[in-house]
Amino acid sequence: MNAGAREADARVDESRQLYLPDFCRARTVLAIVIICELTALVLALARNEAALGFWSDLARTSLFLLWIGLTNAAMLCMLRGYLNRQSLPRGSAMVLALTAVLVMVISLLAWWIGGMAGWFKSSGIDPQDHWTFLLRNVFITLVVTALALRYFYVTHEWRHNVELQAKARVHALQARIRPHFLFNSMNTIAALTRSNPARAEEAVQDLADLFRATLSEKRNEIVLAEEIDVAHTYQRMEQLRLGERLQVDWKIDLLPRDALVPGLTLQPLLENAIYHGVEPRPEGGTVTVTGEFNKGMITLVVRNPLPARDVTMRDGNRLALANIRERLDLMYGEQSTVKAGRFDDEYIVTLRFPFRPVRK
Amino acid sequence: MSLKVLIVDDEAPARERLRSMVGETEGFEIAGEAENGERALQLCDALLPDILLLDVRMPGIDGIEVARHLATMPEPPAVIFVTAFDEYALQAFESEAIAYLRNPIRAEKLHAALAKAGRLTRPQIQQVATASKQASQRSHIGVRGRDGLKLIPIEDVLCFHADQKYTTVKHQKGEDLIDDSLKTLEEEFTSSFVRIHRNALVNTRYLERIARDASGQHFVHLRGMEQPLEVSRRMAGDLKDRFRI
Repeated sequence: MNAGAREADARVDESRQLYLPDFCRARTVLAIVIICELTALVLALARNEAALGFWSDLARTSLFLLWIGLTNAAMLCMLRGYLNRQSLPRGSAMVLALTAVLVMVISLLAWWIGGMAGWFKSSGIDPQDHWTFLLRNVFITLVVTALALRYFYVTHEWRHNVELQAKARVHALQARIRPHFLFNSMNTIAALTRSNPARAEEAVQDLADLFRATLSEKRNEIVLAEEIDVAHTYQRMEQLRLGERLQVDWKIDLLPRDALVPGLTLQPLLENAIYHGVEPRPEGGTVTVTGEFNKGMITLVVRNPLPARDVTMRDGNRLALANIRERLDLMYGEQSTVKAGRFDDEYIVTLRFPFRPVRK
Repeated sequence: MSLKVLIVDDEAPARERLRSMVGETEGFEIAGEAENGERALQLCDALLPDILLLDVRMPGIDGIEVARHLATMPEPPAVIFVTAFDEYALQAFESEAIAYLRNPIRAEKLHAALAKAGRLTRPQIQQVATASKQASQRSHIGVRGRDGLKLIPIEDVLCFHADQKYTTVKHQKGEDLIDDSLKTLEEEFTSSFVRIHRNALVNTRYLERIARDASGQHFVHLRGMEQPLEVSRRMAGDLKDRFRI
């Protein structure tokens, strides 16, 4: 399957996705255990069982609820693929119905086991009235499940919002091509059209590639090789203009080319290094891009010399850094770090993130 | 006789394009090319061009500062600014006398600007210097001597000292007389210089210590300068507070 088709599939999944978390994950199971325990606590406190004593009542209720909760989680884990293809109201209704059925089955089992174990004598429940027991359990579970679903829904919406905001920021960054770069490139091309039409043609192709890269919608996750290509294209464009004043030293042979990165990670760093570190220096300078791959972590370091005069980093730099930080964070969570600062007479940006290869 | 044009731009392709465009324009010829501001000022002294096609954004001495240093020439050239994009710094130059062109420059606009620049009178040309004073802080102090313009990087300046008539700039490689008054210098370099006396403005990066003699008079010692400088009573307290020396 090519990248485009994979992307399209992912999008379909995303738009249809129900808000349910992945019940196969330990975190979600823990959440369910906590919900069960809290419910048990509320029930035990409310009942204030004199005959049995508070702790025994809590223990018995916990056992019963955890039984329901964990079985339910296992069921939802197995049905996740199917449920995720349903619409939001339909999916929610199905979860509630499944839970109700499950509670009935488990209640009947509990009733049966309880009868055999002789629990009824100690807890004042009428052994004949198993319908009341059943209905009470179903109603309590439905209310708690509905609340839990609501909680999952709100959390999911919140996460979704955060992601949307991050995407919006990516788009804003993409739209913010430095006007100077555009006009300078146009001017270079105008000059080359006269003197060296073949190079002018290449420059137009490079510029088109760069714009395609910055304007593309499919740029949230790309392979590192592709991002390095974009950075190389950018370098070629700037090289025409700055000539020998610009040197870029690439030390990236160790990097795994198939690592996933958010699009526009390396290129903006190179752009900043050139804009702030090389262009303002009459003698030019060397930007060094170093890539390391160690214990499953990728480290990318971009360093540039500083201009002679005390120049403060302009806002554009901070904006680009904050943006890269956010997108790496979104992709790799707390495992990724972005550090930047001046050390002696250099400005150094370091990105670190785990290696995650493209799914084949 | 055709008018001489000096092309100033840090980017080779841009210079190349301007060269061929000016070459195609009747009545104008290329005097030379400079790839930075410092070189441009040297060539202005050496070649005495009539018109400067001057890139605004350049490393080191930028276009606006070049325009400002040109004002010290007896016969400064007319300036046509060239920019890639609308520069904030050029707002001060919204004037009849000054043209600016945007890259990539159109041939018609270049011809019109050159023709207009060729017709400017001296007072009109001087307006560029006036406008550039408001536009930027210089990175160099220009001293016009017998052998042309000498540029002193502002970070090499220890202090400015005023006598009755002249201002002296004391720097790493000696001292020179300049035309600027202490008041205008103080306003221009307020971020890095501090007034210590009616007659002295010092670079804060060279401040070493402040001392007091038997009569209660304060003095400032500057790194790289043997002679201490007198501090007026009014400034002494401020100076101590500000630099804790």
